[in-house]
Amino acid sequence: MIGRRWQPFDKQAWRGALVLAACALLAPLLLVDYQLIFAAEILIWGLFALSFALVYGFGGMLSFAQALFFGAGCYGFNVATFKYSLGTWGAIASGLAAAVLFAIPAGFIATRVRQHHFLIVTVILSVLVSAVLASGHWRWIAGPYVTRSLAFVPEVALGPWRFSFGSELFSFYFTAGVVGLAVWLASLVTSSPFGKALRAIRDNEDRAALIGLDVNFLRWMMFVFAAAIAGISGTLYVLLARYSNLEFFDWTYSGKAVVATIVGGASSLAGPFAGMAFYLLSSEYLSRYFQQFAILFGLLLLIVVRFAPDGLYVTAARLAREAFARLAAGASAGERR
Amino acid sequence: MELLPVLVLNGLVWGLIVALIALGLSIIFGLLDFINVAHGDFFMLGAVLAWMLIDTTGNFWIAFAIVPAIGLLAGGLIERGVLRPIENSASLSIVASFGLSLILQEGVRATYGATPKRILDPIGVTFPVFGLQYEVYRLFAAAVSIIAIAGFFLFLHRTKLGTWMRAVRQDRETAIALGVPSDRIFMVTFGLGMAMAMLGGVVAAPLTSVEFRLGLDVLPLCFIAVIIGGLGNLPGTAAAAVLLSVMEGFITSFAEPTTARIISLIFMSVVLLARPQGLFTRVPA
Repeated sequence: MIGRRWQPFDKQAWRGALVLAACALLAPLLLVDYQLIFAAEILIWGLFALSFALVYGFGGMLSFAQALFFGAGCYGFNVATFKYSLGTWGAIASGLAAAVLFAIPAGFIATRVRQHHFLIVTVILSVLVSAVLASGHWRWIAGPYVTRSLAFVPEVALGPWRFSFGSELFSFYFTAGVVGLAVWLASLVTSSPFGKALRAIRDNEDRAALIGLDVNFLRWMMFVFAAAIAGISGTLYVLLARYSNLEFFDWTYSGKAVVATIVGGASSLAGPFAGMAFYLLSSEYLSRYFQQFAILFGLLLLIVVRFAPDGLYVTAARLAREAFARLAAGASAGERR
Repeated sequence: MELLPVLVLNGLVWGLIVALIALGLSIIFGLLDFINVAHGDFFMLGAVLAWMLIDTTGNFWIAFAIVPAIGLLAGGLIERGVLRPIENSASLSIVASFGLSLILQEGVRATYGATPKRILDPIGVTFPVFGLQYEVYRLFAAAVSIIAIAGFFLFLHRTKLGTWMRAVRQDRETAIALGVPSDRIFMVTFGLGMAMAMLGGVVAAPLTSVEFRLGLDVLPLCFIAVIIGGLGNLPGTAAAAVLLSVMEGFITSFAEPTTARIISLIFMSVVLLARPQGLFTRVPA
């Protein structure tokens, strides 16, 4: 690996992209309409979980502030839609901008402190913002843009065509397309020299500083990038569900991303999606029989942390690879004999 | 403005309770080196258990004996069963404590219900002060907190176990080399931290409405106290908790409670950036 130039488009990335594209093309054949919407929801929350994986798995920062940027995405979307009557693209850009603009100062403060302090700062920031938005005294910030339903069916212009989110099929493809783009961007960032520098910082900050990396600045930039990803997932959620809520800002909402990411695997891009799919699918089915299914996720979290700290998806993938290698080795040994 | 003395007094009472809870958080951090995200839920559990005890036995006072004992026991078991196997990764410990928090909240919601419930003032006597009727129970709550905090510091400085705890905190390797049973100390510490939070829950139960989300408001308060007092600095944490609550009570007399909370959050941010070791911790020269 050492000395190899950065290749953004390596074989593995293409293979992954092809598999995902095939899944997306097949999905409408296998799923009925409401299931398509559910699949889109999984992708959106998976992207949200990915934003946590970026700061925690790749940057070593245990952040409970990701929900803030998800909320900021919703907020930016609503401001653009209701105050400036921008179209869907403008609203998405505005949601992204809101998350980034908010993450720049928030990240500047948070990344100056370490470990335990970092965690506490992210919790306190979330509590602060929720308090400001919930209080009646800052109406000019919160406005009617925090808890709001879209009273119309959003439409989006793609070239000369206009598509409506009234169609489940289009909603699914639009979501899948944007999430795919965001994941691709995230894979570029994490495999770039910047991503590698961050992993060096995560593994040993002192050594990283000694070889000349600007530790605080790099952590800050990763924080802002992850916030942008969370912001995109927020705007996609408003588009799909057509409502947003103050509770999206709450730090316990970030817990959803924490659970999914840890269960799936924090140091891979697919792990958060696998974890979130598992979380949402099982909660969908469990909640029919057992209202407080989150207890089971708490237990699962304890078990994963204890026995598979890399996450279920990452551990399963490793075991499968090892079993496959053993099988291949056994087969070739058998041939030789 | 005529409410000022009462609000400050309320702040003082509440601050002493928060100090009790935050001390538990701080001692766990000091020894086990991780932030216990479930600490607010330990507090909530204490309040809920107090309510359940009244519901079944009709007696509030036995909660003061039973609930901390449960906390001590449960805390020891949690440390041994959940945290010990992952003790060398602080972030995994935090994630595990988040899992605990989920289990506690949803467990309480499943058994106790989601609706907030109130406990009647167990003393039910008021006395006139500053032109208002003030509940004697609040003074009692303050006294219990003070006794518990004082008892905790006495335990820490006057008993063998307490001395061992301080030794492990100062220098783990040396303490182990000198024969301090550090494994047992960790169990006792987590149990003690949980017991203090749950005692705080019992004391506070008649002063608030008891529900499964109770811990979510208290945890940030404890965080602020721990940061301002200095992470792991026990007297500093207690002082910061009282100071903050009195300050919030003072601000509440002329502004909204949210404003007071926001001011203390900003205060904490300033302390964190300017003096990350806390207001009351001296930097070794």
